Amino acid sequence: MLAHLPRRRAAAALAILGFLVAGCAKNAPQDIFRPAGSNAREIDDGLGGQKYIFILAGVVAAIVIAVVLFIIFKFKDRGQDIPEQTHGNPMLEIGMTILPAIILITVAIPTVAKIFNLAKSDDAACVVNVTGQQWWWEYDYPVQNCGGIEITQPIVTSGEMVIPAGVNVQLRITSRDVIHSYWIPRLNGKRDAVPGSLQPLRMQADQPGIYTGQCTEFCGLSHARMRQAVVALDSDSFATWVANQEEAYTSPTDALALEGEGQFISQCARCHQINGLTNSDGTPVLANPEQNLVSGAAPNLTNLMTRTGFAGFTFDLITDACREKLWNAPSEEFSALYLQGVWMDSPAGAEYPVCFNETALREWLRNAPGMKPMFVDPNNLSSTGGLYRGMPNLGLTEAQIDQLIAYLLERK
Amino acid sequence: MAIIERPSAVPTFAGAGANAPAVVTPTQGLGVFKRPVAASGWKSWVFTVDHKKLGIMYGVVSMFFFLVGGVEALLIRLQLAAPDNTVLSAQVYNEMFTMHATTMVFLFVMPMAAAFANYFLPLQIGARDVAFPRINALGFWLFLFGGIFINTSWVLGGAADGGWFMYSPNSSPLFSPGHGVDFWVLGLQITGIASLVGAINLIVTVLNMRAPGMKLMHMPMFTWMVLVVQFLLAFAMPVITVALFLLGFERNFGATFFNVDAGADPLLWQHLFWIFGHPEVYIIILPSFGIISEVLPVFARKPLFGYKFVVFSGAGIGFLGWGVWAHHMFASGLGPVSVAVFSVATMLIAIPTGVKIVNWTLTLWGGKLWFTTAMKFAIGVIVLFTIGGVTGVTHAVAPSDTQQTDTYHIVGHFHFVIVGGAVMGLFAGLYYWWPKMFGKTLNEKLGGWNFWLMFWGISITFGAMHIVGMQGQPRRMVVWPEKLTGEGFFNLHFWNQVATWGAFTIAVGVAFFIVNVVVTARKKERAPLDPWDARTLEWITASPPKEHNFDVIPTVHALDEFFHRKYEEVEHEDGHVKLMKVKTAEEILAEEEARADAHIHLPSPSYWPIVLAFGLPIIAYGVIYNLILSFVGAAIVLLAGFGWALEPSVAEDSDYDPPAGGDSTKELATIG
Amino acid sequence: MADIAVHEGAHAHEHDAHGAHATSTGLSNNKLAMWLFLGTECLLFGGLISTYMLYRGRLGNGPGPGQVFDIPLTSISSFILLMSSLTMVLAVNAAKEGDDRNTRVWLSATALLGALFVGGQVYEFTAFYQEGLGFTTSLFGSSFFTLTGFHGVHVSLGIIMLMALVGIITRSKVPGDKAEVVELIGLYWHFVDVVWVVIFTLVYLIPA
Repeated sequence: MLAHLPRRRAAAALAILGFLVAGCAKNAPQDIFRPAGSNAREIDDGLGGQKYIFILAGVVAAIVIAVVLFIIFKFKDRGQDIPEQTHGNPMLEIGMTILPAIILITVAIPTVAKIFNLAKSDDAACVVNVTGQQWWWEYDYPVQNCGGIEITQPIVTSGEMVIPAGVNVQLRITSRDVIHSYWIPRLNGKRDAVPGSLQPLRMQADQPGIYTGQCTEFCGLSHARMRQAVVALDSDSFATWVANQEEAYTSPTDALALEGEGQFISQCARCHQINGLTNSDGTPVLANPEQNLVSGAAPNLTNLMTRTGFAGFTFDLITDACREKLWNAPSEEFSALYLQGVWMDSPAGAEYPVCFNETALREWLRNAPGMKPMFVDPNNLSSTGGLYRGMPNLGLTEAQIDQLIAYLLERK
Repeated sequence: MAIIERPSAVPTFAGAGANAPAVVTPTQGLGVFKRPVAASGWKSWVFTVDHKKLGIMYGVVSMFFFLVGGVEALLIRLQLAAPDNTVLSAQVYNEMFTMHATTMVFLFVMPMAAAFANYFLPLQIGARDVAFPRINALGFWLFLFGGIFINTSWVLGGAADGGWFMYSPNSSPLFSPGHGVDFWVLGLQITGIASLVGAINLIVTVLNMRAPGMKLMHMPMFTWMVLVVQFLLAFAMPVITVALFLLGFERNFGATFFNVDAGADPLLWQHLFWIFGHPEVYIIILPSFGIISEVLPVFARKPLFGYKFVVFSGAGIGFLGWGVWAHHMFASGLGPVSVAVFSVATMLIAIPTGVKIVNWTLTLWGGKLWFTTAMKFAIGVIVLFTIGGVTGVTHAVAPSDTQQTDTYHIVGHFHFVIVGGAVMGLFAGLYYWWPKMFGKTLNEKLGGWNFWLMFWGISITFGAMHIVGMQGQPRRMVVWPEKLTGEGFFNLHFWNQVATWGAFTIAVGVAFFIVNVVVTARKKERAPLDPWDARTLEWITASPPKEHNFDVIPTVHALDEFFHRKYEEVEHEDGHVKLMKVKTAEEILAEEEARADAHIHLPSPSYWPIVLAFGLPIIAYGVIYNLILSFVGAAIVLLAGFGWALEPSVAEDSDYDPPAGGDSTKELATIG
Repeated sequence: MADIAVHEGAHAHEHDAHGAHATSTGLSNNKLAMWLFLGTECLLFGGLISTYMLYRGRLGNGPGPGQVFDIPLTSISSFILLMSSLTMVLAVNAAKEGDDRNTRVWLSATALLGALFVGGQVYEFTAFYQEGLGFTTSLFGSSFFTLTGFHGVHVSLGIIMLMALVGIITRSKVPGDKAEVVELIGLYWHFVDVVWVVIFTLVYLIPA
């Protein structure tokens, strides 16, 4: 046992070092010790904050381990007499009961304050409805003044939630099927999306940037592939983004893309809505996901190419290099870069965006469930009454996929 | 305790003195069939009602399930060793972590604790068996059949895939269409009955069957903790039973208890599950606390420091454990008031837990420490459980918890508690009591390997999990993506690999235990009667104990009775008083044997427990496949019940051979 | 459960017969076990009652409590069940006096009253079903039938135990202490009655 002491000490030192190093910019994007907004900071800071508790926990554990190690050295059997058979020391024991109680009181009081602070909703300057379903998030922005920017018609998007930086945004979270949980570690803790009820959660990001997260309540087969992000933009860029989302639909002029529009209407529009899309007779094309999908919803693709990820923010619409650039962009450059979307770095007038991750989208259109498992047995839909759970394999030809991609690239 | 005839072939007891008890054998069977009478061979195990044999069977079966759950864990770790890995498909992965947790909790830790409770609780309180031996046997067979039943789902279309917490509505037939969840629901019902009847049985045993002089405050700490656990079981199991019935009715008979479209509230499941689930945490950990509260004093040569504090803190944990369930639901949206209340209540529970750690440490303080493998495991529990305990406090703080819950940080936390606390404690018990159970001491050298590999394996695996959790890796994810890995010291890539290596380290440690068992079984050398210089009643009998435990029920005068019989304060020539060994265990045993009871009737083996238990999985298969099968199963249960009822627990005098030695008075010694 | 306990249990009496020491609590193992079992049953019914209370107002498209409940009829069957507690007490008394004949009579009477109650419940369930309240109609229906169904199963098991006991007493095969066996089943029976009082009050009398 003794021989292992140095190693154990090294481990303890390592653990302490760990606490010191945490917060380093190279850490994973979902590092819980790198708050980037007021709510996450509330969780992290002060007595009753995450950092303090972790240090307190570390210190208590270190003391106990140190005492145990000392005892192991000191009271090892070296042939001493059988010790006196003491049965205890009530005063000492009462003291050792009260001491932790006092420490816990110093934690408990600020904790309660924090719980109520985090539950406040009266200072929100913007509202977004967040709806989870297997296995993606939908965001729906009601008509409102969002942090000074007028939203004049409802915006529906998915995967990435775009918010103005510095503004307290009130999320109203719910679910269409099973329980999910919305979590952006750098902005706030988790909040479950429970079907049949609305759960509040505040989001505020100090600086423009992309803050990733994941669904954290186990929600079935592709739980691991249900991700999300909050994208905070500076105020002007957010206004630009809103204006872009509200722009009227224009049919493509390019021949291939026009064929793609037809493909979309025949293949995709059963589930996916594109606002303003009309049939040849001028009637609007209305998606009907209720009759095709268990969750009754599919992502709205009106402005697909303004996003950087798809299929529950699991796969990138931009290439790895472009993603690296965007994710690591300084906050003052971030907003502009994000608004370029898949067109970032593309020379003016380029027909084909440099940053577009064509491989992933092609693969998805070829066989979506192959990339992201969406039902155990696609051939057996009896348990769901013929409804799909997620996107099925549509059996598209390569030509159809070409047309669809040309069309979708214009949804920007 | 019923005085029941016990047929026995040859009365060969280790160390039997001239006054060894006569054994009486029924000349005819009663009830529907003749009673089983085999005293050796497989029949003596299958039909046994002996708490010691049942304890061993509990141990063997739960050790088997430990290996099954361990293989599941290793597969999970292999899958997570690299980003976007493809060892397991998403479906199989989901089944794997569901069954890993289910197996480890319900089929390993709980029954392993039941193994020790069964074997040692009657011995520690000086009883000859439990209050209801046949119910004891029933409990074991229900556990075994329930465990097998759940695991047959692997080959019958896939295991349950909703996580061990089985949150609705994801567990509804719409979202989990296979039969896996049905197997899970019904299997847990069966093992739940086992826990329930076992709990009632052991509570009655402890409350009613203590040796003369053994006050509650003279009971060994293991007995105390087991008693608290049985109360928790008795009152937690019905709650999960209700939840499982509701879910079962929803899945099989079209009810809508968790169907949101019908207006149901999916949080109902969470409340029911965690009202059971949190006491369950203490059900898992307290037996281990009891074991190390036995082991530490023995190897420190000091009584447990603050015995009463440890008793009351154990009971306090058991009581407070009922008031903290919603801390599993801090992210569910309960509202700030509930969250605040449960947050503070959860912090409160840290206090009695802290008391235990302090008392164990002070037990060691000033002792004369002997580092046997059992002692190493017990000290390992103090260290590892403390780490798991303090990270638990970080989850009691609700705002902080909303960052950590459902990440690997939580996984690391509760594995420190369950593996570092409960499992290590159970291993301490195995090493400590092995010579008592089998008459041979486990190899200390192999034991050292076993301990150190497990200790470091646990620290590495679950330590690494804390790190990946703090880096934002959620749990229950079949894959973690390269792009969320991060760089530098805390990158997920490295620490996930570390966790996987650590998991295999634990596996090698466990392998050393199995090797140790085989090596020990093959060696000839018998363990001394009192190898550890122990303190409690179970050591005042032969190793392994006689069929009837004690030739005469020992009379208890003090806590640590056995120790006080061995040691007395002796004044030395120089005037100072020294604690000296005045009697050996052999001498004490000989004294006891000298005044052995003349005739001891032991509970009779019975066919009915295993037959009755066998009916339940048949009912369960019937619910899944064809209700006709259920009626067959129900008929078996009913008939077995009648057989059981008609089998008298006390045989007629005429059913006994005259006692050996010509004594025809037929006075019966009591077992209780 | 109970018949298990019955047969394991006869030892306390045996101890007395041989003048051996009694149990540590002074309560026989059987009785203690039965009390504990009834304690766990409280939690079981507690869970079911909570579920019902949560869901009783969620009617979906089905009828509500006010439309289906026939309070006078259920009151009568409740009264019958309460009367069965009285006959059970008489049976226990008779058993204590060692009066086999009267024990059998009162046990049979208890079983008969219990059977009447279960019959009433079957009738009631059928009537509800015809009025459009099935097990799967609504959350109210599911939780109502589950709660009262569980109670009905408990009463039915009690009847089986009572009848079995009558048969066994007739054949004079009660192992151990006859009076205690009767008393144990009595405990169970009274518990089931008390649970019904709670259910009747919460489910039928207090409007949703």
